[in-house]
Amino acid sequence: MNRRRVAITGLGLVSPYGGDPADFFQRLCAGESAVRHLLTDDAPRPLSMPFVSCPDFDPDTALGKPLASMMDRFAQLGMAAAFAAWDDAGLARHEEGNTRDRWGCAWGTALGGTLAYEKGYRELWQKGRERLSPLAVVLGMNNAANAHISIQLGLGGVSMSHTVACASSSIAIGEAFRRVRSGEATIMVTGGSDVPQAYGVARAWEALRVLAPGDADSAPRACRPFSADRRGLVLGEGGAALILEDWDHAVARGAHIHGEIVGYGSSCDHSHLVKPDAAGQVRALRDTLDDAGLDSSDIDYVNAHGTATAEGDPVEIAALKTVFGDAAGRLAVSATKSMHGHLLGAAGAIEAIATVLALREQHLPPTAHLTELDPACAGVDHVTVARQQPLRAALSNSFAFGGSNAVLAFRAVAS
Amino acid sequence: MDCIGLIREFLKDRLGADPEAVVPGALLADLGVDSLMMLELMFEFEDHFGIKLASDLKTPGTVGELVELMDRLIAQQKS
Repeated sequence: MNRRRVAITGLGLVSPYGGDPADFFQRLCAGESAVRHLLTDDAPRPLSMPFVSCPDFDPDTALGKPLASMMDRFAQLGMAAAFAAWDDAGLARHEEGNTRDRWGCAWGTALGGTLAYEKGYRELWQKGRERLSPLAVVLGMNNAANAHISIQLGLGGVSMSHTVACASSSIAIGEAFRRVRSGEATIMVTGGSDVPQAYGVARAWEALRVLAPGDADSAPRACRPFSADRRGLVLGEGGAALILEDWDHAVARGAHIHGEIVGYGSSCDHSHLVKPDAAGQVRALRDTLDDAGLDSSDIDYVNAHGTATAEGDPVEIAALKTVFGDAAGRLAVSATKSMHGHLLGAAGAIEAIATVLALREQHLPPTAHLTELDPACAGVDHVTVARQQPLRAALSNSFAFGGSNAVLAFRAVAS
Repeated sequence: MDCIGLIREFLKDRLGADPEAVVPGALLADLGVDSLMMLELMFEFEDHFGIKLASDLKTPGTVGELVELMDRLIAQQKS
């Protein structure tokens, strides 16, 4: 099979810190948490939990009011991230003719327009209204983000959304990668966005007893992956986008190449809805290495799924120890969710950006707040303080409820 | 607010349209109103004036035709 190399030529995000990807990565390396205490005015009982918001994001300013008013917040975050990645790739917003007929979009979202539907239910059930705006359907549909991205950037190829819980955007990126590698698409816009602050969604997560507790003082330290005293995950909103481009096309137009995506593997535990299984994760990890043509000894860093739940963290480390064998103890691992939280369907995308930047900067971001390692999570080189180190290739893990696993492999590019 | 005032405010909000361009002779399509936005406009009229529009309503072409249609329906449903 004729395989094209796939360059990453654009990175964009709506950062909880408010800045660009470089600022985002610097703050991760500084161990700076974006987690804050969220207190809403919802009835009958306000949401009160550690959460990651993007308070500086103003959709009207970022997108203009006419465009912003056609979108739910998940699509607004996605569109803004995609525009940022597109501009970073040095591509024109508008193009005449049909040169983009083979360019497409693959987007990840776990919740899609849930917030828009919830707004509709409030109108009907709380405010006693009998009807909804004619925009309700197009605001709520799960493919709203990719549809807007394709329209705004004139992409005539495939436009699709992937909903696979916490693996949504890793699967979107992987599927986009395959389209470019096979030559079907010259450029794919990919990534993910989600807004888990919908009242019903946040309450549902609470009921699962996997959310970390915390108040205004303790919230920044609430998410402690691999730590003996970890108490669970922290939900967050956000959007993150990558531009994947045919290598020759990128070189021909003189694009700046941040890194190379070289492998994608996926699997299903096929055992339990929420209890992860190391064997399923091992298959996804090995599939990814095979797909990339890499040996486990080529991998210098793993951005872990690492959500800080009691069950999940030790299983992931067990899977890594199986795949990396005797060398696992030298494998640098960190869970950046300790700082940017769990973005559900956007988690894979924001962590892919962290991984690509780690390779580009040859700098490892840490797991924050990891002072006392849980012995059940021992056996790898846990990065607790950022450090400079030669990095050749890295993996990013996403292991979802439902047992769906996705792993992405990236390689550093000599600058 | 009268009918043309509602249209002006809506189009300024949604499209950034200059209120002075929203005159009776202007084509709604030229102002940027597509079929989806037409549905939204009708929804706004229903909400604001407490009227119910029939589902087989003929789509007006100009701002003036829309105003005339709405004025007539508002008068009818009030009487």
